[in-house]
Amino acid sequence: MRDGPADRGGPRAAWPPVVRPFGDAALLIEVEGESALQRAARVHGIADWIADVCSARDGWGRPVPGAETVLVPFDPVEPGLVAAAARIRDVLETMSPGEVEQLWPDQPRIVEVPVRYGGEAGPDLDGVAASLGLPADDVVLLHASRIYRVLFIGFMAGFAYCGTLAAELALPRRASPRTRVDAGSIVIAGRMTSVMPVDAPSGWHVIGHTSLSVWDPRRDPPGRLRPGDAVRFVPEA
Amino acid sequence: MSSQPGREVREVLEVLDGGLQATIQDGGRRGHEAEGVPRSGAADAVGLAVANLLLGNRPDAAALEATIIGLRVRAVVPVDVALGGADLGAIVEPDTPVRPGTSIRLAAGHVLAVSGRPDGDGPACRAYLAVPGGFDVPVVLGSRSTCLPAGFGGLEGRALRAGDRLRAAGGAAGLRTAPRRLGSQAAANLPSAAQRLRVLPGPASGEGDPAFAGLVSRPWVVAAASDRRGLRLEPADPGAGGHGPSLAPLAAGELPSLGVLPGAIQVTPSGQPLVLMPDSGTTGGYPVVAVVIQADLPLLGQLDPGAEVRFRATTADDARAAAIERRALIASIGSGLS
Repeated sequence: MRDGPADRGGPRAAWPPVVRPFGDAALLIEVEGESALQRAARVHGIADWIADVCSARDGWGRPVPGAETVLVPFDPVEPGLVAAAARIRDVLETMSPGEVEQLWPDQPRIVEVPVRYGGEAGPDLDGVAASLGLPADDVVLLHASRIYRVLFIGFMAGFAYCGTLAAELALPRRASPRTRVDAGSIVIAGRMTSVMPVDAPSGWHVIGHTSLSVWDPRRDPPGRLRPGDAVRFVPEA
Repeated sequence: MSSQPGREVREVLEVLDGGLQATIQDGGRRGHEAEGVPRSGAADAVGLAVANLLLGNRPDAAALEATIIGLRVRAVVPVDVALGGADLGAIVEPDTPVRPGTSIRLAAGHVLAVSGRPDGDGPACRAYLAVPGGFDVPVVLGSRSTCLPAGFGGLEGRALRAGDRLRAAGGAAGLRTAPRRLGSQAAANLPSAAQRLRVLPGPASGEGDPAFAGLVSRPWVVAAASDRRGLRLEPADPGAGGHGPSLAPLAAGELPSLGVLPGAIQVTPSGQPLVLMPDSGTTGGYPVVAVVIQADLPLLGQLDPGAEVRFRATTADDARAAAIERRALIASIGSGLS
């Protein structure tokens, strides 16, 4: 499947994006788009653009991409909220959606993630299959047959939100989160999938496990999965 | 790697008991939020600065952050230490009190203990113990702070425990001839958690928003399930539910995840406010109804479970003035030592 932002140059009505204050040391830019992928492309384009023109020397922090937003931190004294908001609105005026989306990789790096599905490696696989009314094999097939893009990193160190999951696999999170999910666990929730970077509590469904290490703070960059990457889950025999 | 010219990295303290929670924290980790890495760092940056400045360190050098009660450390060599932050009843055993805002020479074998805060004081949660040159732990992603949720930074990415041995970057060369004390004027200007925390409306609310109004109109209490990731708040007077607007109208469930920062106040689907702390996740899906201004973040860091907390709406101009004042305070601490 073609996962590039095919609708590049799409609707421009929602441009420039809305800028809202987030306390006295950050702004939140709300980004619209036709699809999760187009929004991700715009979000990362805007974040990269701002990182380029708003330097740490002038009191700017590195922008933080979300699903449909960019958080732009800054020093509360210099520039301070009022000047920061004026500056960011000016910068957004200089961008066009097309230019912004071009910063998203058209030919992404491909990361293959070997996965053991089900059993001890994926304790929720059978429950997920039952909830969805599908055989477990079909859940595996649906999960592994798609190429995902890393939309953004968040929640915890190195946690890559990969989208989008087949609609047939969409489930709310577990009613009671697990207090500990092992690093390397392959998890799904809503229309997203990810790989647990470290041992941590999680309400996502655990359907498999990989031996691939996706997070190591001694590496630079520490995360194996980066925004824009194409991710393929490969079932292990 | 971190020692300054002419200084010697040296083992100075042995941990006998980490107490409730003790970690190494500095001014925090910036610029890695887009990789999911929280800022971490001292929950009370003013307390950190006081402890460091007493020893001539940078205000944001790596110090030990002790929580509420139970920390015990033994000097393995003669070493100067300084305390900042909350008064948690620190003593040199058996019974010599050490107040925050003072430095003291520990002889080899002396034990410094945090025995719990004196009764009757206001909220008090975290004390900072500095050593000359700061603690010598590796810089990971630009900081020496412990990131507990991801298990890196500080000492092996974890809370301190019995048997840990801690090195000072300034070593024995950091020893001073006389203990120092924070000037009374600087001490009087230190933030007090009895103040109301100043907030600005969040991206999910406006000044006249019912959820924002509900937050600032009544007192809250810090719930037990609170830590360096976040403070959960409960109404101080649960019976008075009718006295202020409920936060529930905003609890529309989850939004697409957005970047968040310490000080952001989210509302969970049940209507409970959750104030983000230095180790919080870098993105979140709950609506952000208000954000504590930067100048008041150190106060947040001193709220222990059971503490009462009130919020007060402020303006962008006042927030900036407060941030300038907070910076001036830290500068004055450095120059006002006696």
